[in-house]
Amino acid sequence: MHLVVQACILGVLTGGVYALMASGLTLVFGVMRVINVAQGALVILSAYLSWALFTHFHIDPFLSVLIVAPLMFALGTGVQLVFIRSLRSEHAEELSLLITWALAIGIEGVLGAVYETTYRSTNTSYANSSWTVFGYHVSVVRAYAFALSLAILVLLYLLLARTRFGRSVRATVQNPSSALLLGVNADRVRALAFGIGVSTAAAAGAVYGVLYPFNPGSHYDLISRLLSIVVLGGLGSVGGAVVAALLMGLVEAVVAVEISPIWSSFSYFVVLVLILLVRPQGIFGTRERTL
Amino acid sequence: MSRPRLVVLLALALAAISVAAAGASSGRTAGKTLTIGISLSLSGDFSDSGKAAMRGYQLWRDVVNAHGGLMGQHVNLKILDDTSSPTQVVTNYQTLITKNKVAFVFGPFSTLLTAPAATVANRYHYAFIEPAGGGPAVFGEKLHNVFFTQPAPIVNSADVFAHYILSLPKSLRPKTAAYPSLDDPFASPIADRVRSLLQKAGIKTVYKTIYPAETTDLTPIVSKYAAKKPDLVVGGTQNDDAYAQVKAMVQLKFSPKFLFLSNGPNDPAEFPSKVGRKNIDGIFSTGDWFPDSKAPGNKAFVKAYVKKYGGSAGSIDPTSAEAFATGQVLQLAVAKTHSLDNGKIISALHKGKWPTVEGVLHWNSIGEPQGSDLLVEWIHGKLYPVYPKSIALHSPTAPKPPWGKG
Repeated sequence: MHLVVQACILGVLTGGVYALMASGLTLVFGVMRVINVAQGALVILSAYLSWALFTHFHIDPFLSVLIVAPLMFALGTGVQLVFIRSLRSEHAEELSLLITWALAIGIEGVLGAVYETTYRSTNTSYANSSWTVFGYHVSVVRAYAFALSLAILVLLYLLLARTRFGRSVRATVQNPSSALLLGVNADRVRALAFGIGVSTAAAAGAVYGVLYPFNPGSHYDLISRLLSIVVLGGLGSVGGAVVAALLMGLVEAVVAVEISPIWSSFSYFVVLVLILLVRPQGIFGTRERTL
Repeated sequence: MSRPRLVVLLALALAAISVAAAGASSGRTAGKTLTIGISLSLSGDFSDSGKAAMRGYQLWRDVVNAHGGLMGQHVNLKILDDTSSPTQVVTNYQTLITKNKVAFVFGPFSTLLTAPAATVANRYHYAFIEPAGGGPAVFGEKLHNVFFTQPAPIVNSADVFAHYILSLPKSLRPKTAAYPSLDDPFASPIADRVRSLLQKAGIKTVYKTIYPAETTDLTPIVSKYAAKKPDLVVGGTQNDDAYAQVKAMVQLKFSPKFLFLSNGPNDPAEFPSKVGRKNIDGIFSTGDWFPDSKAPGNKAFVKAYVKKYGGSAGSIDPTSAEAFATGQVLQLAVAKTHSLDNGKIISALHKGKWPTVEGVLHWNSIGEPQGSDLLVEWIHGKLYPVYPKSIALHSPTAPKPPWGKG
C-alpha cells in the first residue's frame, strides 16, 4: 500500500506538469481548430532557453519563466500572424498542421545546429532534494513544478472565465461566426490565444528541463503524449486536459510499481481507448452537431 | 586577341600559378597519396559521436603523416556524412569503394550503421576495422573482415564487474541484488550476463525488470526496488536513464552498498553535472578507454589530442580514442605485412596481438575482441580504473558512501 500511495503522489505531481503543457495545445485547438504539433518542440525550445539562462546567468529556472514566457508569447503571436492567419482555403486546418509540423522540424534543426544532440538538463542545487512527509518522499522539484503548473493553470482559468478577452475567446470557441457578428475581433483573439498557448510552453519547458534530460529530438515523444492527453480530455477543453494529464500520471506510475514498467504507457493507452469508446468526444469534449 | 579571350587566358594562367604554388608550399612534389574512406554521422542523432570519431581519425592521420605515412604514402581521409542513417551509410561505402576507389575503409559510428556497412566492405573484400560497432548485430553476420577496436564486445562489457564482486571475500559480497534495465540491445543483455554470473555464485535476485526506452520517469521503478532493500543494484543503462535512476535514488533516500550502471557514470564530462558532484562517489561503471589509461601510446595520444583540439584530457570523448585506435591497427598491420593489400591485412589481423590506445587487442574469427573492459569507480570525485588489478590506478572502494557524502 505504501508503494501505491508513493506512486500516486508521483503520478499527480507528474500529471500536473503534463497538464500545463497540454493546456496550451488544447486552448489553441479550441480557439482556431489548429492542432499545434509544434507544441512539443516549443516546450523543448523553452527548456533550452531556460537552461541557457541558468547555465550562463545563474537564473533559477522557475524565475526564468518570467523572461522566457514573453519571448514565447511574441514568437507564438508572430507565427500565427505570419503563417497561420493567411491560410484562408477550406483546407486551412490541414495546412496549419503542416505549418506547425514544419515549425517543429525547424526548431529541432536550429537547436541541433546550436546545441548539437547532447542531452542537457537544468541541474539546480535543489534538483535532488526531497521532503519526507509521513514516510512518503516528495521531490522538491516536482512539488515546485506542480505548484507552478497549478498557478499558471489557475491564471489561465481566470483569464478565460473572468476577463473580457476570455469571453471573446470562449465565444470564438463556441461559435466563431456569431462571435464575429457580435463584434469580436476574431483575428486578434486567435493571434493572442496562439501566443498564450505557446507561452504556456515556456513555463512547461522550464519545468521539463529540471525534471528530465532533453535534446532537440525530445519533442517527438512529448507531442505524442500531449496529443493523447488532449484527445482524452476532449479537444479544446482545458479542464479536460488537466483531468486527462492527471489520469495519465496516476495510471502510469501505479502500473509501473504494481505490475511492470513495460505495461505503464500501454495501460494509459488502454484507458484512453476505453474512455473514447464510451465518450468519443473525450472526457469534457462536446459532440459536433451535424445536420 | 579580343579582350574577353585575354581575360580568360589571364585567369587560367593565374589558376595554374596558384596550383603550382600550393603544391610547392605543401612540401610534396611527386609523393603518392593513399586515401582512406570513412562514412561518419556528421549530422542527425549520432552527430556528436560522429564528430568525436572524426577528430580521432584526423588526429591519427596527422600523426601517421608526420611519421612518413603508410608505406611512404601520404594518408588522406575521404569522409562522407551519412546523416546517422543506416541506408545512407550503405550508399556512402558503395561510393567510397567503387567510385572513389579508396585504398582502405574505416568504420562509422554505432552498431546500427556498422552492421550494414561491414556487409558492403565484405562484398568488396575490404578489411573493416571499426571503432564503434560492438553490438550483436555486427558479429551476428559472422564476417571475417571485421575488427572491432575496443577491448570487449558490448554485451560482455560488464563481466569485469561480476568478476570483481566474485573476487571479494564472501563476507564482503552483496547478498541480494536488483537488476533494472533499459529495453535496449546495449543495456539489458549486459545486466542479464552479470545476473547469471552472480546468481550462480549465490547472490539472490530480489528484483529485475526491463523498462521501455520511452520511460522518462524512473521514480516508480526505483521506489519498487528500494522497498526490497537490495545490497547491490546493477543497471543495464544508457546515459539518460542512468542519470534518472541516480536522481530518483537520491530523492527516495535509498543508497545501496554497491551500485553499478553500465553507462552514464563512465562519462566523466557529464555524469557529475547531471546527478550532482556529491552523489557520485562509490558508483561503478565500465569503459573501454580513459584519459589516464596505461594502454600503449595513450599518453602521447592524449597530449597530441589536447594540442590539436584544445580542452583537457578529461574532455576527450572515448569515441575519439576508439577511432584513433582504428587507425593504429591499420598502421601496425601495414607495417607488419609491408603491404597495402586488404586481403593480406585481414589475414594478418586474425593473428597476434595489436597494441593500441584501447589496450592490446586481439580478435576471434568474426572480429569480436577477446579482452576485457575496464571497471571504473568514482572515488573522491574522480573516475579511476579499479579492476582488473593489472590496469588499476586505484583500489576499488566499498560500500558506497551515503548520498551527499561524496
